[in-house]
Amino acid sequence: MSESTLVARSGFHDLLRPAGEGRGVIVTERAELGLATVIARKGGAVALAARLKERLGVDPPAGPRRDTSNALSLMGTGPGTWLATHEQGTTPLLSALRKNVGDLAAVSDQSDGYAVLRLTGPEGREALAKLVFIDLHPGAFGVGHVACTVAGHTGITLWRLEDGPDGAIFELAVYRSFAASFWHALSASFAGQSTCDKNARVRSSFG
Amino acid sequence: MNDGIRLAGGLIDRKRPIALRFDGKPFSGFAGDTLASALLASGVRLFGRSFKYHRPRGLLTAGSEEPNALVELRTGARREANTRATTIELFEGLEATSQNRWPTLAFDLMAVNSLLSPFLVAGFYYKTFMWPRAWWERLYEPAIRRAAGLGRASMEEDPDTYEVAHAFCDVLVIGAGPAGLAAALAAARSGARVILCDEDFVPGGRLNAERHEIDGSPGSAWAAEVGAELRSFPDVRVMRRTTVFGVYDAGMSGARTFGALERVSDHLAVPPPGQPRQRMWKIVARRAVLAAGAIERPIVFGGNDRPGVMMASAVRTYVNRFAVTPGRRIALFTTCDDGWRTALDLASDSVPVEAIIDARVTVDPAILEAAKRQGTRTFLGSQVIDTHGSPVERITVRDRDGQLTRISIDTLAVSGGWNPTVALTTHVGGRPKWSDTLAAFVPGDLPGGMTVAGAARGAFGLAEALREGLAAGQEAAEATGHAKSANPIWRADDEARGVTAFWHVAGSTGKAFVDFQHDVTDADVALAAREGYRSAEHLKRYTTLGMATDQGKTSSVAGHAIMAAITGRSIPEVGTTTFRPPYSPVAVGAVAGIHRGRHFRPTRLTASHAWAREQGAVFVEAAQWLRAQWYPRPGEKDWLESAVREVKSVRSAVGVCDVSTLGKIDIQGADAAIFLDRVYTNMFSTLPVGRVRYGLMLREDGFVMDDGTTARLSDDHYVMSTTTTGAGKVMQHLEHARQVLWPELDVQLVSVTEQWSQYSIAGPRSRELLERLLGDAIDVGNAAFPYLACAEFTWHGLPCRLFRISFSGELAYEIAVPARHGDAAMRAIVAAGQEFGITPYGTEALGIMRVEKGHVAGNELNGTTTADDLGLGKMMSQKKDFIGRVLARRPGLADPARAVLVGIKPVDRSVRLNAGAHFLAPGAQSRLENDQGYVTSVAFSPMLGHWIGLGLLSGGRERIGERIRAHDPLRGKDTEIEVVSPCFFDPEGMRLKS
Repeated sequence: MSESTLVARSGFHDLLRPAGEGRGVIVTERAELGLATVIARKGGAVALAARLKERLGVDPPAGPRRDTSNALSLMGTGPGTWLATHEQGTTPLLSALRKNVGDLAAVSDQSDGYAVLRLTGPEGREALAKLVFIDLHPGAFGVGHVACTVAGHTGITLWRLEDGPDGAIFELAVYRSFAASFWHALSASFAGQSTCDKNARVRSSFG
Repeated sequence: MNDGIRLAGGLIDRKRPIALRFDGKPFSGFAGDTLASALLASGVRLFGRSFKYHRPRGLLTAGSEEPNALVELRTGARREANTRATTIELFEGLEATSQNRWPTLAFDLMAVNSLLSPFLVAGFYYKTFMWPRAWWERLYEPAIRRAAGLGRASMEEDPDTYEVAHAFCDVLVIGAGPAGLAAALAAARSGARVILCDEDFVPGGRLNAERHEIDGSPGSAWAAEVGAELRSFPDVRVMRRTTVFGVYDAGMSGARTFGALERVSDHLAVPPPGQPRQRMWKIVARRAVLAAGAIERPIVFGGNDRPGVMMASAVRTYVNRFAVTPGRRIALFTTCDDGWRTALDLASDSVPVEAIIDARVTVDPAILEAAKRQGTRTFLGSQVIDTHGSPVERITVRDRDGQLTRISIDTLAVSGGWNPTVALTTHVGGRPKWSDTLAAFVPGDLPGGMTVAGAARGAFGLAEALREGLAAGQEAAEATGHAKSANPIWRADDEARGVTAFWHVAGSTGKAFVDFQHDVTDADVALAAREGYRSAEHLKRYTTLGMATDQGKTSSVAGHAIMAAITGRSIPEVGTTTFRPPYSPVAVGAVAGIHRGRHFRPTRLTASHAWAREQGAVFVEAAQWLRAQWYPRPGEKDWLESAVREVKSVRSAVGVCDVSTLGKIDIQGADAAIFLDRVYTNMFSTLPVGRVRYGLMLREDGFVMDDGTTARLSDDHYVMSTTTTGAGKVMQHLEHARQVLWPELDVQLVSVTEQWSQYSIAGPRSRELLERLLGDAIDVGNAAFPYLACAEFTWHGLPCRLFRISFSGELAYEIAVPARHGDAAMRAIVAAGQEFGITPYGTEALGIMRVEKGHVAGNELNGTTTADDLGLGKMMSQKKDFIGRVLARRPGLADPARAVLVGIKPVDRSVRLNAGAHFLAPGAQSRLENDQGYVTSVAFSPMLGHWIGLGLLSGGRERIGERIRAHDPLRGKDTEIEVVSPCFFDPEGMRLKS
């Protein structure tokens, strides 16, 4: 049987719709992102950090921060626990981690467990502030910061990337099954009538 | 009636007239007006009827403390009751209706209550409607509710939306009067992140209502300038129409949470597209400056509630800000210098002041002289003891010699001094303290991180408010790590502020009101004192003083002062009540925000949800998940018919059910096996790789917590399944064990519930289906893949898992695929199953099959059952320790008389059973002491052709074959049943091993 017969559907695949011309917030889904949890073996956090640095060039942060090397990022989500992402997807992520640190960490694939959205745009921060009860001011939540928090009664992991042409860039991971409810919370918070799609823009309700 | 008349000036835009309707009649006002000022300018004096006595009431104030002028705003679904006319910003097409009157505002039949007033005193309900008790719900309460009360709710769904938003700042400034503006500016210039909230739609506070000058320009112009400068800072947010309504806890850093309500669209007929009506803010501030100002207090005297009796400061607000004079013949009753300013303001607008009555014997000679120059009669050491007319037409003044003078007027301005607005200082437990100097309560212990500036702490003069504001803003900025800024020095005067405590005119004729909104009089306070309700808290509850929607902003202190006088104590001895959030009313919709209707809480959807919906599935909520409950087919009349068909298909051919919602926990580490041995009652370290075992988990107290299967994927890698509803609880339990109980173990846990879509394929033809579906990806033959086998394999290039486990009692498998392929996998399973007669089945069919098999589920794993109760005592390993082992041996849990799991059948096989029925011996009375247990689950068994059930019966295992009763007083049923083994179908388990 060929690989193509089991079509993939990302968490938000039927939810993001074009919102027409606007300004404010740009929301896109990161369906291609590979994700995994990485948990250090008992007493192995130091060795794990050294190995990750040596073999993969990333420093696993000891707190809620994100470190990136090439396409691989590690985000601290708890003591000895990280959420790893890979821009090229699941396969390179799992092979890099299992090959290099499989003996020092429990690696669990979560690429399908989470659905990830990217938020940017001139009003992205203001809009996101309606959903999350953490301080997103650049001085408080800088590039590379990570938070495990709640948005719309749903647990999320939120992180901030390097700024892009449309301003600050945030990404957030939500458990896949919550995607529809979360999309309601996000679109209702951002504009009442707005939904959005790749490169489509949402007019936020801060006039 | 003397019409109010527009004056020159004011902060209204005469180029923008606005039409409105009040009680169906057309009126007009200008942009910048409130409903109160616009109606006042059109001569309206009567705004509503009072709560209890239906007395005619007019405007008392010009602010959010208004107790009288409550109206229903808007119509239809947008109708909003109890809206203060003094805070309603005019918009085109505004419609408002007076409330609590019938049939009309001017002619109110319920005003007869006023004649009954001797009976409607404090404590009236407690005393009157005690007997007969049955009459309370049917007669007394509905009648009272009709007669007393406020506005009506619309009873329709609110068409508007609401939002919750969050904000963080270094310095939160509450109130944009002179002190607040100065504080915000000082903090902003230091570079602090500042949020300035003000309930009004124009910043400035009293500056907009008075004729103060700052640096030689009008106070309102200064306020506008400062407001503009504040908006120019990128890290400053100026929030108009926003009330900080509550102060909440502080975090470890000292930053404190405040609640604020922004009325985004209340000043518009309909919210613009995408905009909410209101937005509730949770604001976290490292420091807060409370500059909430002060509220002028009335004096309690006979007839002080008639329309036309108004606070002196409100008169100034209407005159100076809205350019409306409330009357043409105005008298002033005051006990402080501030009140006299009203007379001066009116005089400069050529509105004659008939008389000034001051309860003090001596006043500042300068203001006395100024008043006399204008030809105003002055009465020192005198009091107003009664008023006449509605609206007020005449007052009776008693001078210091006891002489009575009657004066014809159309408006009486009253000032009893000012109460600092201390409400927000008390929300986290602080109590205001009494100041003899100011004759007012001032802030006592403050919430950490809060400072108070200006009138809110009793600094009533303008110059001192500005100074205090600057200092507080500066200090807050420095405390949050910002450098000192160069602060301006503003030129302003500190006006005369003399005040003498004076609350109550003894010997008044006519009713003298303390709490206008709740119709509490001085006589009610006296009654409370006579009956022993003398503390502030008792007074409040007995008379309802201060318990209306205005929280006693204009009344509480006077009530306490009168109680003090009656009982010969000081005001601090009587005490004061504290305020609670919200400071002013908050719509419940604003608290709910976007989470209303079906979005009240999030729901979770499996990857096959869209497919199931296409099949017409009916869904049920399990935990937060939506699970397919049954799949109706055309012609099926109810759920049972569909579920029976689904069961028969599974037992005769093959069915598929989405079981993705069960919790899945990835357990890795060198000590994973030891860890599982300790959390399960049975052994898992002996489980071979590639096998699955059913496990039972106890709570620490020995009761069953959850059950499920755990598969061993490799030596140090297991995957555990939990019940759908138990998933979160089990994860928490395991994390606690890992982190707290046995931190020395090398074990790693993570939920992978969402990573996998998992489908149960059950029925005698399930193996054929899998062979067709999976081809050579994996050998599913009985030899290679026996009962309780598990394997990881690759299918379509995807990592997949297969488990041979069964809840239905049939030959069954569960296949797990990465969730993004879950939809396609379900479609592939159904396509491959067509030739085998595949039927999708839901939780109802699942439930029937597990009852037929006697498998326990949530109804039996209900937190009151032990392993032995459930017939699983043999799973309690004797070879190892595990959580719950010791306490499971407690005498109460090992009692042989405990109710244990049995099966039941109705003796008359045509009878339906019901869960919840209690077991009684034949002939036993329906009494608690005869109770022998209860029915936990029932199902119609398609295989047996009649109803069957599971239950917990005392000593049940020894009673197989007995005939007892299932007694169901709720449904009025009593059914003779037979006690049987809990497994009704294929007790040898031949089918699942075939």
